[in-house]
Amino acid sequence: MLNKNKKILPFLYLLPTAILLLVFMIVPILYTFYLSFFDWNLIAPTKEFVGLKNYVEVFTDPINQKVILNTLIYILFLIVLNFVIPYFISLIVKFFIKKMQGAYKVLFFIPSLFSLVVGAMLFTWILNPVSGPIAYLMKSLGMTMPNWSNSGILAITVICFITNWKVFGYNFILLLTGLGSIPANIIDAAKIDGIPKWKLIWNVILPMNRGIAIYVLILTIVQGLQYVFTPINVITTGGPYYGSSNIIYQTYLNAFVLYKTGTSSALAIVTFIVFLVLLFIEIRFVEGKAKNYA
Amino acid sequence: MKNNILKKFLLIMGVMSLAVLFAGCGKKTSSSSVKHITYWHVNAQTQGGATVDDLVKKFNDTHKNIKVTAKYNPDMYKGLMQNLQSAQASGKVPDVTQVGWAYDNYFSSNFKYMMPTDAAKKFDGNTKFIDDNFSKRTLSFAKDSKGNLVGLPYSLSTPVLFINKDILSKYNIDESSLTTWEGVKAASKTIHDQSGKYGLYIQEPGDTWAQQAVMLSNGADIQKNGKAAFASSNGIAAYKYYQEMVNSKLALHTPWAQGMDSFIKGDVAMAFTTIAQASHIKKSAVFNASAIVAPHFESHKTVVPVGGSMLAITAQDSEQQKAAWEFEKWMYKAESAVTWSKGTGYLPPTKVALESASFKDYVKENPMLEPAVKTLDNAIPWTSFPKKGLQAEQSMIDARDKILSGSNVQSTLKAAQDKINVEQK
Amino acid sequence: MLKKINLWHVLLIMLVLGAVVPILFMISNSFKTLRDSYTTMLNLIPIHPTVNNYLLLNKQINLLGLTWNTFFMATIVTIGKLLTGLLTAYAFRSYQFKGKIIIYLLFVATIFVPFTIVMIPNYLVISKLGLLNNILGVALPQLCDATGIMIFLKTMEKIPNTLIDAAKIDDIPNRKIFFNIVIPILKPSIVSVGAIFFINSWNEYVWPTLILKDKASFTLPLALQNYISSEGGTNFPLAMALSTIMVILPLIIYLIFQKYILNSISNSGLK
Repeated sequence: MLNKNKKILPFLYLLPTAILLLVFMIVPILYTFYLSFFDWNLIAPTKEFVGLKNYVEVFTDPINQKVILNTLIYILFLIVLNFVIPYFISLIVKFFIKKMQGAYKVLFFIPSLFSLVVGAMLFTWILNPVSGPIAYLMKSLGMTMPNWSNSGILAITVICFITNWKVFGYNFILLLTGLGSIPANIIDAAKIDGIPKWKLIWNVILPMNRGIAIYVLILTIVQGLQYVFTPINVITTGGPYYGSSNIIYQTYLNAFVLYKTGTSSALAIVTFIVFLVLLFIEIRFVEGKAKNYA
Repeated sequence: MKNNILKKFLLIMGVMSLAVLFAGCGKKTSSSSVKHITYWHVNAQTQGGATVDDLVKKFNDTHKNIKVTAKYNPDMYKGLMQNLQSAQASGKVPDVTQVGWAYDNYFSSNFKYMMPTDAAKKFDGNTKFIDDNFSKRTLSFAKDSKGNLVGLPYSLSTPVLFINKDILSKYNIDESSLTTWEGVKAASKTIHDQSGKYGLYIQEPGDTWAQQAVMLSNGADIQKNGKAAFASSNGIAAYKYYQEMVNSKLALHTPWAQGMDSFIKGDVAMAFTTIAQASHIKKSAVFNASAIVAPHFESHKTVVPVGGSMLAITAQDSEQQKAAWEFEKWMYKAESAVTWSKGTGYLPPTKVALESASFKDYVKENPMLEPAVKTLDNAIPWTSFPKKGLQAEQSMIDARDKILSGSNVQSTLKAAQDKINVEQK
Repeated sequence: MLKKINLWHVLLIMLVLGAVVPILFMISNSFKTLRDSYTTMLNLIPIHPTVNNYLLLNKQINLLGLTWNTFFMATIVTIGKLLTGLLTAYAFRSYQFKGKIIIYLLFVATIFVPFTIVMIPNYLVISKLGLLNNILGVALPQLCDATGIMIFLKTMEKIPNTLIDAAKIDDIPNRKIFFNIVIPILKPSIVSVGAIFFINSWNEYVWPTLILKDKASFTLPLALQNYISSEGGTNFPLAMALSTIMVILPLIIYLIFQKYILNSISNSGLK
């Protein structure tokens, strides 16, 4: 009796999560997968089976190609803005300054408290290329601000900066905590040996902090691509001519603006597969410990 | 220690179950004598949301057997359509729905609705109410490609040219020269050369309503016999004009909100946009703002697609439909329609309301409305393609964005037209 | 050396300004009149300071009700996520069972599911459950989040086996191990993760717009949509006033639990 109880118990603990997972995650993913083979407008009583047409469209349609390219640009920008820079700053705060560490932590985190809708509104106002405060300041200095909303790449930059405003502090704290868990004696030993700081960081600190760094890096990509959704939706709606759209926004556009659920589902599945590759990397480097349970 | 934590845990569970209880109690039980109907609209607080609430409250106060609940749908007609199809999927549709013109074919071919003429015949015994209140032209706005009357026109809008009189007088530009697009260009050039400011902004939302007005006013058609026809020489010439204005920095090319901000701050002299912006401009601009009739190209006349929405009856059972019809008729009373118009900045849809003394007084106080009312006589239905209409609109938006970022006008418009026509078959 | 350090401070302070100045503009605009927001754009201190925007908001929308809805939703989501996260992590920490790795990876994989992929089906599920317009309908799908599981598990791994084994040998029931040993050790993680869950859920936007249609059930971010309308013109000062109101509670929570949040996550636990 006791033994049996013991066997059931872990599953009992897992039950609530498992049910939620099944109902709101696994079944929906399968359903979306199913939808990706049909042409359907979300409400018509019949769905037309089209085979792989939707997937072919994802890769051959020039708009989708553009969107995929944009997605890569987004990933690059997000990595630089939301991972490399916060990492650099956290190294500086940890190893190169002594005072005010606490104050920086507190202040950097504040924008994380805001909704991205607020961020998007605030920054469109501040960055209005003709009539915003920055444009006026630049004008008084004799410069003109480029009309960023007309250029895909500039619009992407601005949108990435808005998410950067929100997530910088959070990523910074995560990375800084990772650095904090590196044993002090290693650092002290290096100091005594007179090894230059940057060398120490490069050869010792960064490899030691690899787990959390890869975790933040992957989170930056996976969440970043979803975070930019709100500013895209509020500011550019993907324009100019899909110049600032990414695969997530395009999925939404197809589903809820154009009612092409087939194309939308195919895009979603492709995104998911790409994310699964990232998941694999995550498992390799971050969840290595999972093996311990075998 | 143990007790303490257990207590906390119980407390948490308690809160959770209370939450569930709360949610359960949220559902109201309806009594049989009062008909509850829901009305879905798109009016945000900045756009007459409060007026809608007032009107509904007034209706509820005066009709003891019907209770209307108004629901605001964010993100305009697009957002409302999204919600409606979701509602359809779950089987709980509203009873009265506000539908944007661009969606009339999509709506009529995908949703169940009751034609207003059927409602009138069934509940009034005749269509007198419709005939008395709406002109033929107004009713034509609400017909789908099969010629069915889908709903009753509720809000009407036309594009007008808002002008910054201070800038115009500073550079000695005569308002009367702005009746043609050629005149607008000349004025923009003067302003740009002397001040570096932009002359013109044409609204760029998620539709091509304003751009269609520019093409129509050069004698172009958007569609002919159910097929896209805007890549005609007149259509191309109109877009070339627009592209050139943008390229030479005479016209500003930017999303809608930013463009309007620039106009209100006085960085753009003229804004071609919907009359619904009038009250916002009046409230926020510090310069002398005014509005004139939509310009046309030389040797053509002003033609604009009408903007706004209709009310459709989406109620399913007869009793609900009757209540919905009752509510609609009340909303179209001159008094309600004028109140609505004042709150939203749209023009009232009925002949009676347009000619009522209270609306005329209102126009006198708000002269910016006058050109919009005048333009109604030159308004045609907003093009809504019979098949895949939303994707067709998207193709036109795509073409606009491409052209404004420098693509060849002729080939871009032609490609968009072909893409739409492939679907029309 | 000293000079170099100062230069780093210059960089850091510039970054802080970049983070904080937009917020100051938000607050400043919320006290400006609509006209002044256009004419005196660069003034951080309003020329004609006014609380009218706040009064107007209070008149136009039910601020108290909206705040309560948002609070209610965020609380359910936070408690739910914490409970499922703790239970799951505990099961992984202290039991061996078949398919453990697979199940664990399945949970972790949920972090990699883009919201767009489950949006349509989830909508249908919620509507079938009759939870449209219901805060629970917004909350339920949000509970599917493995972040909590991962963080709690990482912290639990730091609990020495000996501690739990000793308890098991003494035949202390699981429930007691969980509540008397694990939970107290995890307290800092629970607080910081909980605070972050709460703040994120408080600001949640996309999903609630799909579920909540009735003004009475709106959350604050949805109410904000009321003031961004391109067709009627955006009332920037009003929107900023609402944004300011929206951030008050997250800010209070942050200030109270700041120590936990900032020293959070991987550093908490037994270290």
